[in-house]
Order: sequence, then structure tokens, then C-alpha cells
Amino acid sequence: MTRTRNPRTPQKRPTGRSRAWLGWALKLSLVGLVIVAGFAVYLDAVVQEKFSGKRWTIPAKVYARPLELFTGQKLSKNDFLTELDALGYRRESAANGPGAAAVNGNTVDLNTRGFQFYEGMEPAQFVRVRFSGDYVAGLSAANGKALDVVRLEPLMIGGIYPKNLEDRILIKIDQVPKYLLETLVATEDRDFYSHYGVSPKSIARAMWVNTSSGSMRQGGSTLTQQLVKNFYLSSERSLSRKLTEAMMAMLLELHYDKREILEAYLNEVFVGQDGQRAVHGFGLASQFFFSQPLSELKLHQIALLVGMVKGPSYYNPRRYPDRALARRNLVLDLVAEQGVASQAEVDAAKKMPLGVTKRGSLADSSFPAFLDLVKRQLRQDYRDEDLTEEGLRIFTSFDPILQMKAETSMSETFKRLAGRKGADEVESAMVVTNPETGEVQALIGSRQAGFAGFNRAIDAVRPIGSLVKPSVYLTALEQPSKYTLTSWVQDEPFSVKGADGQVWRPQNYDRRPHGTIYLYQGLANSYNLSTAKLGLEVGVPNVIKTIGRLGVNVDWPAFPAMLLGAGGMSPMQVATMYQTIANGGFNTPMRGIRSVLTAEGEPLKRYPFQIQQTFDPGAIYLVQNAMQRVMREGTGRSVYNTLPRSLTLAGKTGTSNDSRDSWFSGFSQDLLAVVWMGRDDNGKTPFTGATGALQVWTSFMKKADPLPLDMPQPDNVVQAWIDPYTGRGSDGSCPGAVQMPYIRGSEPPAGATCGGEENPAESVMDWVKGWMN
Amino acid sequence: MRCDVNKWLFPAVTALAVLQGCSSVPRGNIPVVDSSTRVSNSERVTANRSAGGYSTGTAQAQTLAEDSGVTVMIPQGAGASGIQTFPAANGAAPISTSPITPGPISTGPVSSAPMTTNPNPIADEPFDIAAMNNAPQSTSAPTGIPRSTAAAGGLSADEQLDGPVLALLTTAKTQQGSGDFNGAASSLERAQRIAPREPQVLYRLAQVRLSQGDAAQAEQLARRALTYANGRPSLQAELWNTIAQAREKQGDSAGAALARQKARVNS
Repeated sequence: MTRTRNPRTPQKRPTGRSRAWLGWALKLSLVGLVIVAGFAVYLDAVVQEKFSGKRWTIPAKVYARPLELFTGQKLSKNDFLTELDALGYRRESAANGPGAAAVNGNTVDLNTRGFQFYEGMEPAQFVRVRFSGDYVAGLSAANGKALDVVRLEPLMIGGIYPKNLEDRILIKIDQVPKYLLETLVATEDRDFYSHYGVSPKSIARAMWVNTSSGSMRQGGSTLTQQLVKNFYLSSERSLSRKLTEAMMAMLLELHYDKREILEAYLNEVFVGQDGQRAVHGFGLASQFFFSQPLSELKLHQIALLVGMVKGPSYYNPRRYPDRALARRNLVLDLVAEQGVASQAEVDAAKKMPLGVTKRGSLADSSFPAFLDLVKRQLRQDYRDEDLTEEGLRIFTSFDPILQMKAETSMSETFKRLAGRKGADEVESAMVVTNPETGEVQALIGSRQAGFAGFNRAIDAVRPIGSLVKPSVYLTALEQPSKYTLTSWVQDEPFSVKGADGQVWRPQNYDRRPHGTIYLYQGLANSYNLSTAKLGLEVGVPNVIKTIGRLGVNVDWPAFPAMLLGAGGMSPMQVATMYQTIANGGFNTPMRGIRSVLTAEGEPLKRYPFQIQQTFDPGAIYLVQNAMQRVMREGTGRSVYNTLPRSLTLAGKTGTSNDSRDSWFSGFSQDLLAVVWMGRDDNGKTPFTGATGALQVWTSFMKKADPLPLDMPQPDNVVQAWIDPYTGRGSDGSCPGAVQMPYIRGSEPPAGATCGGEENPAESVMDWVKGWMN
Repeated sequence: MRCDVNKWLFPAVTALAVLQGCSSVPRGNIPVVDSSTRVSNSERVTANRSAGGYSTGTAQAQTLAEDSGVTVMIPQGAGASGIQTFPAANGAAPISTSPITPGPISTGPVSSAPMTTNPNPIADEPFDIAAMNNAPQSTSAPTGIPRSTAAAGGLSADEQLDGPVLALLTTAKTQQGSGDFNGAASSLERAQRIAPREPQVLYRLAQVRLSQGDAAQAEQLARRALTYANGRPSLQAELWNTIAQAREKQGDSAGAALARQKARVNS
């Protein structure tokens, strides 16, 4: 750059060269100004558009079923405390504030948090719950008045994330806890309320502090600049980016007030990485680090979060607790120094431990199988963008307690069976539903339940083996003039020539015939010969139709082999089939979702309870009776080595050819579970239905302790006395006579004399006596 | 010139500002992947998971405790007798598998020809008319709500409801009254989850469905309620009337007449 000769005498004409240069400089700066102005206008538009419009993409949040409390409910104190722990309730000696719980013997006091459900707002309130054994014996409010029913807030079990995998819990600025705003301002931008976006004072102060201390201790960016950087720009450090940032910060301050900017900051600031998920905003940070809602945080917790803003990875309290503690205490010093809180409060806060919950990475505590089900059901009604951006709240029927019991049953059983050759390659799946409501309560898609991957519960279509048999017997029992539970059938070898000329020769599992048996015994003992014969009599197409009426539309060919379960189904389909039987002949489509709300809590969609009667309750009652006998005397009888005899259950084992698939499907009054075991490569396993899947099922039922099966006897069913050895009608006064259910009109006529053998073989009598006990 | 100084100062200051202002750590690399499923606050559920399961407490003992007369009211238990013991008739009837003297049951030999017709058991008459007035063999169906009286029969609808179910039915009535049918159905479904076998809940749900115009579901729900309404003739009558209404709406006048007849038989 050249100078003019006489800078102080502007009247003296400058040289021609300088004049030209000045002219150029002027023109250039004019052009520059225009460009800058244009850029500013553009930035202004960007700032306003993003800020005023939809600000953040918020993933959909998926919630488990809310735990309902009422007197007389079957709920153990331990299960209740498990739920409270998962919800982040603090254990204290007295339940003082929201989110606190106190346990005194059999009484649990808590202050619930309240929640916005589809039906309306459940208020936060004090509740005293008294337990007696495994039941809730009393429920009362703070004033001692009895409460009818109370709902806890639902546990959040997952979300549906967009590609950028940001996650946040949106907070409003009037919901923040005491001290948060002041602490943030004191630490990051103490002139926040007085500057216009950029603060030269802050920059100067930061320069002074850093040069005098020789290290980078303070930053000169305002909160607004930080917001701009995170919200609009990348973290690329360059001069041009810094300038853009400064301009945008000033524009932001021009259009929006301090509160709005602060609110945006609170929701945008990056506070941590959880595996692949980026944690943004103090709302989610509070849950992520303390398992508590933001409004419940105390000063020492707030100080930690604010301190982490400067370097979320560097000050990660789980990885570097010492650094985090030092940083937190530094923040607390600033708080005292600037008078945000009293010295006494700060001293008390400094004494507190960090208080972060242990596990931050939630990779192995997710419930991928159930969430997969939820996503599939939602995709039928919503586009992907709605799911990943609109912050929808999805309420499901998922029961985390049952899920954990199912997962534990599976892992414990596999551990026990580990010695068997080939057990390691066996995979598994499990479906747990409530047969009375048709809701899916737990879902396991693989042996390692927490791993997301192939969801075998929904997608593994495998031959169901003997699980098909109830549909054969149901088809028969719908014709009471021809078949009753005590009809005689022949369990003898036979062969059938198919339409293609192939001969089908079924075999029993134990390779031997059993002669003449009662119809129900073919089901209880899972005999192939009698079942196949029965199925051919009623007709394979009719059996397949029955399966359709049970709720599963299979496209199996009508081959005789289908009668023994050559056809394939997924565990969910099996559950659907058995659900109709468990539910008295009423088909209920299986639901995982109850309702959907918008991000603001407005009701959006409901998935209502629907049923369809597809079977006569009488026929279902008879099939249930036969399936109870599976458990009492048939292939499922090992369950009563573990479970109490008073727990009436019905079920069916299933083993496909060469034990490639091990199945069990069974139910009580309020719980239905299907377990499958098999190899993904369809190889042989060392398990039958009884030695494999049934073991997991039994272990689960032991933990779940459901209500015993008790279907009301339909009006067209009568109990008739019969002689146990011949099936002929008998009388109540005859020794050894037993009662069996029959459709009215199909029972054997009452006997005139007590027929049958007077002196049965000793062993048989003992066996009979054994069952009487 | 003065502008020279400014021209140098500005970049200098800016440069320093850059250095001072860039105090935050750059955000970690966020990979672009398909939507995944991560969990927020079930962290403590994990802790218990790794601890290897839960104690089921006194699960086994509980059934015994019930029989010994603990006065805990149990939804879904039968009357005042606590958990139903396993009736011999339904279970361990000791039918032997040893050789049986042949002799077919009087219903005739089992034909080997496949069935060509599949009689639909769900005609308009799911229950035998003649059977309607006969007392059922077993005790009346457990109703799913605590009852203060042991008598299970002869109660008209709306009697003896208390606790959570009554509270929710009351809420549902209010919602229905103000036209919020979705809310009413929601509250009723909540009640149903608490007491799945209480026919009054299903009855109300059927009524709401009728109001919403879903007559087919109304009929199905009423049918389900009927299976639980043994020994409650007035409730049965109301349910049959609901079925009649539903059938009328579906254009089935003959079926509606049949249902009304059933209602008269019951009331």
C-alpha cells in the first residue's frame, strides 16, 4: 500500500496513482459491502426460517405400558420396586418431592410425576401403597383417603431415530429447575443479557485470562454464537466461519428475545455421545446422566451438566470422573462468585458426589424385538418422516417386567442346557401376550435378547410340528354328533396315497402304535397316527380352514403332512392361533400399540380393542380341556414338577422332524407364551418341544406366576359321569367314575349299572390313585 | 491512513477472537445410518438384568396363603373363596390307557370319508335356547372385581361394582355423555385390562361402539360379555338387547328379532 506524500494536507491534490487506487478501493469496498449486505440478507433468511419454523427433528418416543395400581391387584412389592427403579425414582427415607419413593416394610410411599396420556392428564400426587403377599392390599392418598386407581408414568423404552441420530427431550424455558439458567449464564456467557450477539467484552476478557494464565481457560463466544454454531453451522474452525457465526448471532438477537434464544440453546447444546446416538439438550442430558427429569435436578447436578458444555467428551463424568468433578466444582465457584447461589449452598453442593447413574451406554438394555414390532405396525399408518421427526409419543402394551422375566428364563435355561451337544448353535424366540386383551407384552427375537438383528419372533417361519394338532381336534369337536373327547379312535399304522401317487405313512414319535384310545389322548400324548387319521376324516382343507378361523391365513397346500405340522408359521402366528383358543373362541388381532399422541400431547390415533367370535365356545371348552390334559398327563406334564398343581394351564408341545424345531405354546387365564428353539441353518437340535422350549416356558411361568386358567363353562356344555375304562355313561355313585365335559346332547347316556372291570390291574389302580392326589 | 490501521486491526482482532472463541470441542462424528433403536431411561432395568433375574418372592406360598383366608380382595378370583382350586372334573380324571374292551360309543362308527361340509357353529344362536334357563354346572364366572357379597347370582347390572372398575366406568360415562367416544372407549379398555372378565365393562364398550357406529363390533363385544354373564339374567337380557340393536343397524331384522326374544326369555 502506498501513502500519499502529505497525509495531513488533504487539500493538496494526491498523486494520480493514489487517486486511482483510492477510487478502486472505494469501488471495491462498495462491492464488498453489497456482497456482505447480500450475504447478511441471506443469513437473515436462514436464521429466521430455521428458528421460527420447525426447529428440531425430534424422534418418536416409544413408551411401555403405564403401571396401574389398585387395591387387589396382583403385583409383588419387588416387581413394583423394579419398575420404580427403572423410572428413576430416588429412594429416600421419606417421599418428599416428585420422583421420590420411600420403602417401609410392606409399605411404599411415593410422589408420582404425572403424565399426559391419551385420555388426559394423570396428575402428580402422593401415593401410599400397602402390599400383602403378592397383592396390593391398600392404596391411599396423602390425607389417608383411599384411592381407586393410580397410574405411574410409562417407562420410555426406545425411540425411532432419523438418520442424523440426534436425540433430545424438548424442554420449555419455564420448566427448568432453579439455578440452571443463572449457572449457565454465569459459566458460559456472563454478559448474555446485555450483549447483542457478539460480546467484545467477553472476547477481551477471555484474551486477558488466557494470555495471563498461559492456557485456554475461557472462551469468548456468547451463548448465541454457540447456538448458531451448533444449530446452523458445522464446528469447522475457520475465520470465515467465525465471521459468519458472528453475523448470524447478531441477526438472531435482532429477531428473537433472550428467552427464546436461551430456550433454543437449552435444547440444542450437545452434551454427550451414547454409542451412535447423539445426546442434545439438557432435557435428555438429565435423563441420560441422572435418569431424572430436568425439573428435579439439584444444584450440584446442574453444575455438572453446565460444566460439560465446554467439552462433553473431555468432561464425560463416566469416563473421566475426576476431571468432571473438578470442572463441576469450578462451575460452582463461579456460581458463588457471581452470587447466583449462596456460599453455603455451593459448599454443600461441592460436597455431593457426581451422582451420575452407572451405565450410559444403553446398547444392551434396549428391546429391539418389540420396538421392531412397533415400527412395523406404525409404518402401516405413518411415513418415515412423521416417525423420525415429529416427536410422536407412542404408547404400547409392552411390559418391561414380563420382558425381563422372559429374558432371564431364556438365558438361565440355555445355561442349564449348555452341556448338550449342539446346544450352542441353537437360536430362540419368544412371544408373550395377554390372551384376554390380545396385547403383546414381551417379545424376544433371538437368544441374545438385547441384540438387534433378525427378529425371529416375527420373521422366522418354521414347521410347527405338533403345534398344529389342536386345530385338528377343534375341527373334529365342532361336530359333537360325531366326535367327543372320549370318542374311540385307533392309533394304528396306516398309509394314504396322495394325488401325486406318493404314499404317506405316518409314524408315532416312539415308533409304536397305541391301539384304541380316547380322542383326547391323541392330543394329550401327541400321537401322530390317531391325529393323522382324525385329520383325514375331517378333511385337511377343513383343518386349514380352522386355522384360518383361528386367525392365521396360511397358504399351505392341503397335503396330509400338514396334519402333523409340516407347514410353517412364525412364533407370532402361533401366538395368534393359540390366542383364539385361550380367549374362548374369540379372535383378537394382536396389538403392540395402544395410542399415539403428538409431541404436544394431543391425541392422534387409537388402536382399539377388537374381537370376532369365530368358534362355538363349547368346542373351544373341550379343546382347552384336552390341552389341560397335555399338561396334567401328556407331553407337557413336566411343568408340574416346577409349578403348583393349582395353576391350571393348557398348552401343546411341538417337535418337527429330526428335532429341527422345538416348540411350546401354552396359556393360563391371563398369560400366553410361545417359545421356539431351532437353528438358523435348519440343522438338527438336541431338543424336543418338551426338553427345549417347554423348559424356557416353565421357567417363565414360574417367575410370572399368572392366574390359573378358568374358562366359564358354556351353556351348551354338560359334565357327564363316565366309566374311565370304557367311556360309557356311568353314574356319580359308581366307584372310579369320572366326569368329562360334553356338548349337550353328545354325552353318553347315564349307565344303569356301574360297568367296567371290577378288579383292574394293580398298577393301573395306583396310577389312577396317583392322579386323585 | 486511519483505514490502514483498522484494516490490520480488524483481522488481528478477529484472528484473536477466533482463537479465543473456538473454545468448544468439535462435535464427534455422527455416522449417517438407518434409524436405530436406543433406550433412554431403562438403564436400571439393565442393572437388574445383569444381576440375573428377580426373586419371585413368595409366589408359591401365595396360593396357600389365599386358601388360608387372607382377606385380600382379588380381582379375577371367584367370589369370596380366593383362588379357585383345580376341580377334579376338569383335570386329573384318571382315564386309563390300558387295553379297552372294544365297543364304540353309541354315536356310531367313525366314518373314513372326509367331511365335505363344515357346519358353521356360529349361527345366530351361539347358545342352545333350551339351555338358557338351565343353571350352569360350574360356579358362576369370576367377575374380576372385588365383591362385598358372596352371592354371585341374581344381580342386576351396575350392582356391586366398586374400586377401580367403578371409577373408570364412571369416567367413561361422563366422557360418553360429552360425546368423547374415543376417550370413553379408552377408559373402558383400561377397566377391561384391570377386570377382563367383568361383563359390565364389555357391555359398556359395546354401547360405545354402537354410538360410534360400529355395530358389528358392538355385537361381538356383547357376545363376549355374555360368556361371562352366567347367572346374571338381567345383564344377559340387556346384552341381548344390545345385540338386537346392533343387528338392526346391520340390517339383520330376523336376527334382531331372535335376539329380542332371547332378552325376553332372560328378563
